[in-house]
Amino acid sequence: MLPDARGYFGNYGGRFVPETLIPALLDIEECYRQLQHDPDFKSELNHYYKDYVGRATPLYFARRLTQSLGGARIYLKREDLNHTGSHKINNTLGQALLAKQMGKTRLIAETGAGQHGVATATAAAVMGMECTVYMGSKDIKRQRLNVFRMQLLGAEVKAVDKGSRTLKDATNEAFRDFIQSFAYSHMLIGSVVGPHPYPLIVRDFQSVIGQEVKQQFLDQEGQLPDYVLACVGGGSNAMGIFYPFLDNEVKLVGVEAGGRGIAPGEHCATLSLGTDGVLHGALSRLLQDENGQISDTHSVSAGLDYPGVGPEHAFLKQQKKVEYVNVTDEEAVRAFQCLSESEGIIPALESAHAVAYALKLAPTLDPSQSIVINLSGRGDKDVAEMIEYLGKNPSPSKGGQVND
Amino acid sequence: MTKLRNSLNARRARQETSLISFIMAGLPNPQLCLDCIKAIEQGGGDALELGVPFSDPLADGVVIERFHHRGINAGLNLKHSLDFADKVRQAVNIPLVLFAYYNPILQMGMEVLAQACQAVGIEALIVPDLPLDEIKQVHTDLEFIPMVAPSSPDERLDMAAAMNPSFIYCVSVRGVTGVRSLPEDEVKAYLQKLKPKTDAILALGFGISSPEQIKTFKNSADAVVVGSYLAQIMEEYESRPQLLPTQIEKAIAALKKPCAN
Repeated sequence: MLPDARGYFGNYGGRFVPETLIPALLDIEECYRQLQHDPDFKSELNHYYKDYVGRATPLYFARRLTQSLGGARIYLKREDLNHTGSHKINNTLGQALLAKQMGKTRLIAETGAGQHGVATATAAAVMGMECTVYMGSKDIKRQRLNVFRMQLLGAEVKAVDKGSRTLKDATNEAFRDFIQSFAYSHMLIGSVVGPHPYPLIVRDFQSVIGQEVKQQFLDQEGQLPDYVLACVGGGSNAMGIFYPFLDNEVKLVGVEAGGRGIAPGEHCATLSLGTDGVLHGALSRLLQDENGQISDTHSVSAGLDYPGVGPEHAFLKQQKKVEYVNVTDEEAVRAFQCLSESEGIIPALESAHAVAYALKLAPTLDPSQSIVINLSGRGDKDVAEMIEYLGKNPSPSKGGQVND
Repeated sequence: MTKLRNSLNARRARQETSLISFIMAGLPNPQLCLDCIKAIEQGGGDALELGVPFSDPLADGVVIERFHHRGINAGLNLKHSLDFADKVRQAVNIPLVLFAYYNPILQMGMEVLAQACQAVGIEALIVPDLPLDEIKQVHTDLEFIPMVAPSSPDERLDMAAAMNPSFIYCVSVRGVTGVRSLPEDEVKAYLQKLKPKTDAILALGFGISSPEQIKTFKNSADAVVVGSYLAQIMEEYESRPQLLPTQIEKAIAALKKPCAN
């Protein structure tokens, strides 16, 4: 079972943080190992999943989209229907319960698009904990709606106005807070990134997605899907849906943000174009220059705008267990429009990257084949940004024209 | 025995506290930085940590972080820092330690760095995001200075002691770098816990800015590290660069006073 005792998935992972923080990480690991198989913990978490989040989320056959593309049958795993609007809540409730068990009274989170921040603020509210969310000032501008939601939920949102002014520097700031406050605070990392044991814990909490898909697909189709697609920023929704399929004959494809193209600073295609390096506590693939300075990144989607990726993804790419591709901003926006028009579902821009790849892949496959897309979040938060992007006049997207 | 180890041990033998200074390599500009380093030596500084600008310095507080970002904006990197260290070596005689985050080291390669350090007279390496277990996995002749903190459990203190380093960097607080008041009892208690485990010099760092603090801790620690305080002075006097070296020298001399036996 991976990771190993030192937190490594093959060559990737580990624990690259100041020594000051090591005791906090050892505590989290020990507490998690105890609770992981504890029936009371599991049943409490399942209670929240079912009655608070609304799990299990549906696996929906996208009939009109499938017909318009004329190839593989497309299914959507509706994580967008979760309470708070994305898969992030699966992890934040799990870690908040863990933090409570450890006697912590405060949650610290980093956020890019704000989905993880909202999910953490929500978990803090329902568990009666304090919450501080760090968010880059650039992201605060493009995700104002989520900032207000977090504040409504009682969280303190701290703007990070340095470096990239996005998720990367918000994460640095969250770590600095955690180093000072771990006696009473838990840093609730939102993706399968960071030092051991975070990549393991977040993967485990998100695996509920893949477990449900497996059962639901078997129930509906009597077999397993041919393809499972998910967008990859840090990689938590992808890890969550891929993990239960790793030993099956299912093609797993992670879709990264290709941004405006492959020039440095213009994309976030870490697994496609990055190199080995250490950021935010783990050895993984990274976008960086030849001197080891972390690169600026770009994506139309704030949630994918990050120069790193979870170490287990780096390992799965190396082992060729998962294929990683990327799509551009333009393709993602087209998919955003296409899914809205064809199925009446406005996807998060992050998830729209996975949809965009499906638009290319499905027509190349046979109708006997099937694709599951992890629709990791809903797109309400992106509407203001898209009004700007589409010049306030969204025209019908070419890919989305459906002739019934 | 290295120059660093000899000089720190000799001071301890005289019951004198060593003063280790931290400065970001080449900032605000190479010449002014070099003048400040000469002033540190002039003021009585005993060893020098040269900081390498990194884009994501998560162990550092706001003041030193600003210097990192300025370094990044000026295009500085590990290679520049090593070139700068060569100039420092020619200008002053105090022992040099490199303070660098791990990713730039990983990209350069540990062996390349070790050779470069030897060539420019850097005797040891502090990597704030490389905890003790990961240090053990790195194979090199270059000496690693281990860091410990008030939060470190006994077995981690033992791990640091077992490395038999020139000094152990004892972080004073659960926190990042930056000037602040220190929790006296907690700091003393953990230094006293570490002391019997090792012959290594115990250097107390993070938050040191006044002669009074040095008086408070001089019987518990063998050395103190001052960094953010110097960076603050550099920011304050940057617009009057002709005054800066004198200010640095004065500050070091003032801190050095209570270090004496």
